[in-house]
Amino acid sequence: MIFPNEPGLPVSAHDSPDGVDLGRVWTSVATEVWRRHPGWLERTAARVLRSPGLARALVTAPSLLLPWLISTVVVFGAGALITLGPGQPAVWLVAPAVAAVGIAFSYGPGIDPAWELSSSCAVSDRMVLLTRAVAVFALNAVLGLLASVASGAAAALTFGWLLPMTAVSALALAAAVAARSAVVGAGAGVAAWVITVLASQTVSGQLTASVTNAHAYLPYLAVAACCATAVIYAVRPERGLQ
Amino acid sequence: MLRHGRHLRRTPGKGPPVNVELTGIHRSFGKNKAVDGVSLELDTGVFGLLGPNGAGKTSLLRMLATVLPPSSGEIRLLERDPRHPAARREIRRRLGYLPQNLGYYPSFTVVEFIEYFALLKEMPSAAVPKAVAVAVERVDLGAKAKAKLRTLSGGMLRRVGIAQAIVNDPDLLLLDEPTAGLDPEQRVQFRALLRSLGEAATVIVSTHLVEDVGAACTEVALMSAGEVVFRGTPGELTARGAGHGVGDAPLERGYSAVLSAARS
Amino acid sequence: MDDDELIAALAAGDDTALRELFTRHAPWLAARLRAALPAPDVEDVLQETFLAVWQGARGYRPRGTPRAWIWVIARNQAALLLRRRGPATAPLEEAPPSGLDPADAAIARAGLTAALDGPEGRVLRLMYVEDRPAAEVAALLGVPAGTVKSRAHRARRRLRAVLGGTE
Repeated sequence: MIFPNEPGLPVSAHDSPDGVDLGRVWTSVATEVWRRHPGWLERTAARVLRSPGLARALVTAPSLLLPWLISTVVVFGAGALITLGPGQPAVWLVAPAVAAVGIAFSYGPGIDPAWELSSSCAVSDRMVLLTRAVAVFALNAVLGLLASVASGAAAALTFGWLLPMTAVSALALAAAVAARSAVVGAGAGVAAWVITVLASQTVSGQLTASVTNAHAYLPYLAVAACCATAVIYAVRPERGLQ
Repeated sequence: MLRHGRHLRRTPGKGPPVNVELTGIHRSFGKNKAVDGVSLELDTGVFGLLGPNGAGKTSLLRMLATVLPPSSGEIRLLERDPRHPAARREIRRRLGYLPQNLGYYPSFTVVEFIEYFALLKEMPSAAVPKAVAVAVERVDLGAKAKAKLRTLSGGMLRRVGIAQAIVNDPDLLLLDEPTAGLDPEQRVQFRALLRSLGEAATVIVSTHLVEDVGAACTEVALMSAGEVVFRGTPGELTARGAGHGVGDAPLERGYSAVLSAARS
Repeated sequence: MDDDELIAALAAGDDTALRELFTRHAPWLAARLRAALPAPDVEDVLQETFLAVWQGARGYRPRGTPRAWIWVIARNQAALLLRRRGPATAPLEEAPPSGLDPADAAIARAGLTAALDGPEGRVLRLMYVEDRPAAEVAALLGVPAGTVKSRAHRARRRLRAVLGGTE
């Protein structure tokens, strides 16, 4: 059954002569006229992520304006946190947690207007979040690279935070696609970040003690586990009553 | 006459499969018992879920949409157990859901929005453009297909929501207050759409507007305070109102009669 | 908006203009094409025609009337289709013999008797496909002649409704 339109159906039954279904013809025409042709980025992403839905989530992340703005602010804020406290390992571990939670909330139940609907879809909502996190970091890294030409501070932020986080989140997404589990992916990302931090800290010599002292790994792992828990908590389904 | 958590008869004559099986479903949020012992079996047809705000309809629908797990009880949807991830994914591919408060992405066009959810429902991408065109025409938004969502009225946005719910030709269609914002003529046509969808799928329409569903539903259930207090045909609900109920229309009188009996 | 304005809007990318053009022109195009092609082919040709209109709108110059322009496109698409199919279809042979009333002609051409089951279908087949007089049909079926005539009348009415013909 078709609604009668305000402007009028393209054709009504009595216009159709002798077995010709003009409604069906119009649908076929409209299919081609309304068809969207995905760009090369989306097509590549669809192949790599093995999901046209995730590719679309990736490519449309910036067009959800409010979530995009909020998550960008959080990401830059976390980056500022890092640049303000270069010697404190706790900051290095907390900053990604702050960024991750910020992205999860801005694209999640709080602000994404269609979150409830997305949670009922076959593509996992956590995978969509992870994909959008990659989009946020990647696009901001590109902007940061452009700004680095002009500003040293921007370069520090880009190379010390945005680029590494893009790599880490991309790794997390790749692991998630391979293991078909967003949780595995998040774990892989967290592990990669922790290793990166420890490696860079030991190179700069500030935490040589921690490398040799096995007990010092525990707080880092604890913080890393808290990051992952915070994100998973942020997307739990119970949000929103009745 | 109250009927508490009755395990009720199947809708007759449509043969297997049973698309929805709920057994003793409970759902609480802290101390609040949103759903308090519901059992249902449904196959194809249009099923109305009536009740006042806060009766538990939305929570029930959210559990059917696999968005919310029950606190206790068994659910089987499309003959699968939604607790297992692979089965849940398969259920979701064949599910259509219109939440009560569906937001929209302002910069998306009608076609882009519907297509996005078609892809998230893992429809084969070659089939998506045709399915989107069919869905757009079925809800009569053909003239607005490439309009941005921010330019549409509330009723049109609701129709976009209905279109995304039906785009994958679901076996289980869940509509929470679908007629919000539709004018009376559009509601009449919407009921016709429901009837045609109910021929091949289980359609569950939740609404607090009683007359909306009266004509289109083969069966209705009335919820109050988390329980199903009535289940039967619209005619049977009307009969309960004879001489007792309050309201302008027969179905409304039956509705109010059952509710006041349940509350007493 | 007149047709020229619609085509200009189409050239600018407005898909609602195509919808309006379809409303105006698809019915008469379908009728003209139907005289020469079977219904499924008419649908294919119409689909290709309007897609060609959508793509060709930019190149349209108001030389003749828009109707003529669209008809030329449709005719070319029909020719393309027939060329692709090969000479197997012979549409002229489907033209009805003269003198029959429109409903009988529709039966003969479309062969829809199979679509009608039951006593009415049987009557139709006997009277119009096998060309027997009503009295013989009545004898064959073991019913009064009046019953045969009323069943035939009902069947023709149903067919007319199915085929959407005007009377």
